[in-house]
Amino acid sequence: MAPELLQVLEDAKTRWTGKVKPGVDGGGAAAFHLECEAPELPDVCNWLFAERGFSFGGLIIEQRTRWELRYVFYGPDSGWAHVVTFLPATEGRVPSVSRLIHAADWHEREAEDLFGLVFEGHPRLGDFVLHNDVWQEGIEPMRKSFDGSRAVASREPDLTWKPRRIVEEAGAFAMPVGPVYSAATAPVHFQLETVGEDVIRAQPRLFWAYRGLEKIAEGRKADDVLLIAERISGTSAFAHSLALCQAVESLCQIEVPRRASWLRMFLAELERLRHHVAAIAGICESTALSVAAAQAAILEEELLRISGALTGHRYLFGMNVFGGLAADLEDNACRHAAAQVAQVSGRLATLQAMLSTSSSFLDRLENVGNVSASNARDFGLVGPIARASGVSRDLRRAQPYCGYERVEFQVPSESEGDGYARLRVFFQEAAQSARIIVEAAERIPAGRVRTPEAVLRPGAALGWVEAPGGAALHWIRLGDGGVVERYRIVTPSFANWHGFRLAAEDFAFQDFPIILATFALSVHENDR
Amino acid sequence: MSQWVIKGLRSGIKSTRYPRTSETAPGISPGLPVATPMSAELAQAMAARCPTAALEPARTGIDVNLRRCVHCFRCARGGDGAIGWERERDFECAGVTSHGDNFGRVFTRSIHILVVDTGDCGACLNEVKQLNNPYYNMHRLGFFFTPTPRHADVLLVVGALTEHMRLPLRKAYDAMPTPKRVVAVGACALSGGIFGPSFMCAGGVGDFLAVDVEVPGNPPAPLAILHGLLVVAGRKPPAPLYRRIEEVDGQG
Amino acid sequence: MSLLLVIILGLCATGIVLAIVLEQERIPAALGWLGAIASIVLLWFSGASLFGGAVFRATLWTIPSLATLTLSLDRLSALFLFVTGLVLLPGSIFASGNLSQYLGKYSLRSFSVWYFALFATLVLIPLSADAVSLLMLWELMSILIYLLVNFEHEDREHTRSGYLMLAIGEAGTLLIALALIILAGNGSLEFASMKAAGDALGEQARWAVFLLAFFGFGVKAGLIPVNFWLPQAYTSAPWPFVPVLAGATLNLGLYGIVRVNGDLLPVAIAGPGLVALTIGSVTALLGILYATTQSDLKTLLAHSSIENAGIITAALGAGFIFIASNHPAIAAIAFAAAFYHMLNHSIYKALLFVATGAVDSNAGTRNIDRLGGLIKVMPVTGAFFLVGALSIAALPPFNGFVSEWLTLQAMLQSAELASTGIKIVFAICGAILALTAGLAVTCFVKAFAMSFLGMARYESAAKASRARASSTAPMGFLAVLCVFLGVAPTYVIPLLDGAVAPIAHQARAADALVPPFFSGSIHHGELPSAFVADFHKLGAQVGQSVMPGRGLVVLHRGAAANPVVFAMSTSYMAVVLLLMLLGAYVVFRLIVARDRGVERRTVWDGGIRRLLPEMTYTGTGFSNPVRVIFEAIFQPTTVEDTRETVGKHFRAAIRRTRGENHVLDRLVLDPISDAALWMANGFARMHHGFLNAYVFYGLGALLAALLVARFT
Repeated sequence: MAPELLQVLEDAKTRWTGKVKPGVDGGGAAAFHLECEAPELPDVCNWLFAERGFSFGGLIIEQRTRWELRYVFYGPDSGWAHVVTFLPATEGRVPSVSRLIHAADWHEREAEDLFGLVFEGHPRLGDFVLHNDVWQEGIEPMRKSFDGSRAVASREPDLTWKPRRIVEEAGAFAMPVGPVYSAATAPVHFQLETVGEDVIRAQPRLFWAYRGLEKIAEGRKADDVLLIAERISGTSAFAHSLALCQAVESLCQIEVPRRASWLRMFLAELERLRHHVAAIAGICESTALSVAAAQAAILEEELLRISGALTGHRYLFGMNVFGGLAADLEDNACRHAAAQVAQVSGRLATLQAMLSTSSSFLDRLENVGNVSASNARDFGLVGPIARASGVSRDLRRAQPYCGYERVEFQVPSESEGDGYARLRVFFQEAAQSARIIVEAAERIPAGRVRTPEAVLRPGAALGWVEAPGGAALHWIRLGDGGVVERYRIVTPSFANWHGFRLAAEDFAFQDFPIILATFALSVHENDR
Repeated sequence: MSQWVIKGLRSGIKSTRYPRTSETAPGISPGLPVATPMSAELAQAMAARCPTAALEPARTGIDVNLRRCVHCFRCARGGDGAIGWERERDFECAGVTSHGDNFGRVFTRSIHILVVDTGDCGACLNEVKQLNNPYYNMHRLGFFFTPTPRHADVLLVVGALTEHMRLPLRKAYDAMPTPKRVVAVGACALSGGIFGPSFMCAGGVGDFLAVDVEVPGNPPAPLAILHGLLVVAGRKPPAPLYRRIEEVDGQG
Repeated sequence: MSLLLVIILGLCATGIVLAIVLEQERIPAALGWLGAIASIVLLWFSGASLFGGAVFRATLWTIPSLATLTLSLDRLSALFLFVTGLVLLPGSIFASGNLSQYLGKYSLRSFSVWYFALFATLVLIPLSADAVSLLMLWELMSILIYLLVNFEHEDREHTRSGYLMLAIGEAGTLLIALALIILAGNGSLEFASMKAAGDALGEQARWAVFLLAFFGFGVKAGLIPVNFWLPQAYTSAPWPFVPVLAGATLNLGLYGIVRVNGDLLPVAIAGPGLVALTIGSVTALLGILYATTQSDLKTLLAHSSIENAGIITAALGAGFIFIASNHPAIAAIAFAAAFYHMLNHSIYKALLFVATGAVDSNAGTRNIDRLGGLIKVMPVTGAFFLVGALSIAALPPFNGFVSEWLTLQAMLQSAELASTGIKIVFAICGAILALTAGLAVTCFVKAFAMSFLGMARYESAAKASRARASSTAPMGFLAVLCVFLGVAPTYVIPLLDGAVAPIAHQARAADALVPPFFSGSIHHGELPSAFVADFHKLGAQVGQSVMPGRGLVVLHRGAAANPVVFAMSTSYMAVVLLLMLLGAYVVFRLIVARDRGVERRTVWDGGIRRLLPEMTYTGTGFSNPVRVIFEAIFQPTTVEDTRETVGKHFRAAIRRTRGENHVLDRLVLDPISDAALWMANGFARMHHGFLNAYVFYGLGALLAALLVARFT
């Protein structure tokens, strides 16, 4: 582990002598954990965040003999810190850290809704994942006692529930958008409070597509949960399945053959490239620059066809298995795909050049939807969105996995934080992905593509991946026989939806769809 | 601005000729399993491999219930007698339900579609969106997306129907004027997919709405969805959603 | 004729006596009956002159070395009296119904007394034919209006508005007095001799008379920069009085302008007309801008009155320019447009005020942001308000369309003028008026839609009761008039002709606008046959067997040098519209809906559980784009924005308030008051209490007087 991390560990020991139990994670992952009591929790977390430069990554809750709350932090440059606290099984109260670390806000609200834990001091607990006009309070589906396989028979929802209004101005009203709105969009509801021209407050209401994936995974075999992982968000299927595979492989000490590792990187970058091209198409579509949108859509379809021809599925479903890939890909096919990708990348560069000289297009993006660097850090934004605002963490660099340390690539970062900065980041990352693909195609070694039947053993581990939308964390706990006991999914869209309102507010109504398009958020990835 | 006009013109025509001719480009469809003859024990083993019970052993082989297939490819891979799988050409797979119907003569060449996502993974929705890209260009066939149910003729539903989306789906359906038809797209909408019925998901929209046309796949390729739309418009014949080995062999 | 006048004044006197004698509960009924009867007699009186040409003249008594108080009725006065009668009739009925809410709070006696006194004044002012009686009656009217506006005197706001109105009214009266004195010169103060003396005035005196009279009468007419009292006064005035205030008293200002510049001192150069045109156009634009961004219906209508007064003045100005440029035929069109618009404005503004009064009484509020969905609970009021809104928004086939169309056509005729500079001014002012017309549509779409359509935003709006008969009947009368004046312009224009002709120095001015297409009409033979043939091909003779009169097409043919034709027929438009609507209804009912029922479902709201009123557009939101586009004029002075948070990022509340003051306050009032205060401060510095300095001042004044005496 890096000396800086060890230093932080030492400082923690001296600062909270006796109150904090430090430890270093085995298995070679660069992580340490601090166990502390519930009352110390806000102080410890805030110390890591405010004074030592750590960023909040996610909250993992497990209900075992007692409650285990694991606050995962990213190190300033690399590494992890886990702050763990235990609560007795009957006592579900813990102090909230959200006032100090706002990035934990939604994690705590989700935990309260799904587990029934009370985060004292959090001002906004209540309707979040489970909508109050469909469910009553107290359902707590993530508790072990709740049977997730059947519908809940009797319910007493609050039919008079209405969203909170914040703007107090004469003539202000709250314009509702969704959940069914526009043409072919994912379900999300916005309450846009306005006096007519500008959106003063934009409040998204999510979880219309909440499928309870973490709950239905419990009790299933890990192989089937892999299928669920692919379908958290179909457009980032490979990335999420890769994260779960890495978690299980790290837990069960399964060695992944080098060929599989290279092919995984190849396919992951192919997915990233296609995701970013789709984002660019969405941005051009939102500004009604039809020809550019069509050009980008052509490239997206071509990438989908390349993926489909190469692996049999346009979204790369069914490729990852524990221990490698489910089927081998021929080297010629990979090189052919890489050549096609290079061609796509060239046309993408032309598109970028043309867009950067279209002043009416840039007018809609420049200085629109600004997210400042400090806000990006406070809200824990990740991925291209954060990198456009100066928060330049990329897990492929910070926490290399799957062989990324073996290839040359750049992690673009911009500082303006406006729509144009995000567009530029998408373009540059897409170019880098194409570069990795082309380089990887030449360097894939021969060999097996899968470790023969891996043995799954009980235990817990964290897997991570830099998904196209940003950092994703998967926490898996296996029981006997390869059955999943707990599956926790922290997605990049969850963090970025939280910060979306920063960009949408105080801009005109007409800018709203454009700002939404520049974020390229996935509702399904957030909702799970 | 003229750079865009020139760029567009120089890109040429990319649209597929389907449905006039079939489309054969690589990567357009993941295909679907076909009913394959095999021994009874093998059929049992194969059926056990399927995580969603889409494969059903029959007397002389294995039947496929397309509505449940989630494209995990477990049946297609594996050393012993893999199931048959038609790739590129197998996208005309939409079927009409027993109580459903197409539009008949009322709407054939101009249909407005409202898309409602009731909780899927996003892949089906993305494939639906691809129908507007220059490769498929559904406008040339007279299909248009509309944001409001008041203008919609077809309600295209994706997703496994979460509890939260019941009311919006019901309201959207009720707000559509007659005549209207419902097209369910994707394994989630047909049978719940890998999610299945649970405390949050209804396991498909078939019990909630009267579905007319079903398009199987996870996700179905854009051309499959297009086939489904052509079926609901009455311009293409439907395909069976249940592939029986008896029908393949011609044995009774 | 004098008998009729005596009857009118007698009824007013009876009203005053009864108001003092009767007990308070019976006063509203008395007011209603007497007011209605007096209005009808007034209509008869003025109609006899306007339609029949009857003349009336009476000298009252002579004030030595001043003037002989004279009353005289010519067709111009008759027109204004007729309009007043048309407004006072429904106004009195509405007032009688609305007055009883003040029982016990304020003195109905006082109201009734002042009301009838004002009635008499409104009748006598257009009749007065000498400066003294005019000024005395004008003063009396100003005071009575003040008393009526300040009727709810417990409210400080009302007293302030009333006082402002009174003060600026006094200034206006002063300007009028100066104008009339200059006009009289050395002669007597009767209008007859003023007319004769007018020719002898030099150019500077003419300008002085024009400007003084224009701005003096402009106070009452609501022209910038002296109309800043109007919105507040209209808002503070009690409901029973508001229709009369808007429909009758505003016209008196216009009457004064027309009387002085059209009759007593006819314009000879284009300058005065240009001033009137420009000020009218800018008044109209500012009026409608502020109307569009108002959320109080009463204030909205007040600003709209300013807009209409501006349009009328602009048309008058155009007419003056055409007279000065020797185009009497076009001047006649402009004046016809102005008078038509004045007539229309009185009718539809009174209608809108009565309807708004009914809304305020029954829904408890007149704030647009608190209303909504009223058409379900007050359908009759809603229908009449809609007629008023369509009329004021100048949509065919209602009356506002006819007068706006005529006004804009008159503007376009400026192409015939010689001077390029004048044409440029016409072009700019025409554009401003067109912009005004567009904004007026926005404004009244907002006023109607946000108040009557959609969902009720507050309890009181959802539970409003239906309007009383004493409100519905006047609304119905006025709405019918709106429709009639819109659908039958070819009958109205010849009636206005009597008032237009003397001012435009063009006899038979109506002929220029209503050609006798019907073969039965008198002057049909005078039309060139080719012309008749062309227009008969377009159907200009349709209806000649069933309708009396000259024709149903309003049409003007330019002079031989510029034979441009402009034409319109709201009569035909109305018929076609009715047929289309009827046809559509029949087709739908008999053919389309035959096998199918019509289902009603809830509004599509995106799939949320229920649509709340707070999610629907407010009036403020609807008009916000106008506020943003014209930011330079509105210039919000304070925008407070406080954001309450818990922790750093949890938001509890965002509170914003916007303060605005009127552009006139900024550009006119504030500089004047600042200057006055500066002078006052300067003078205050001179009052420091040192006796020596005061003696010095006296010495200085004596020296100055000696010097002046020495050198003159």
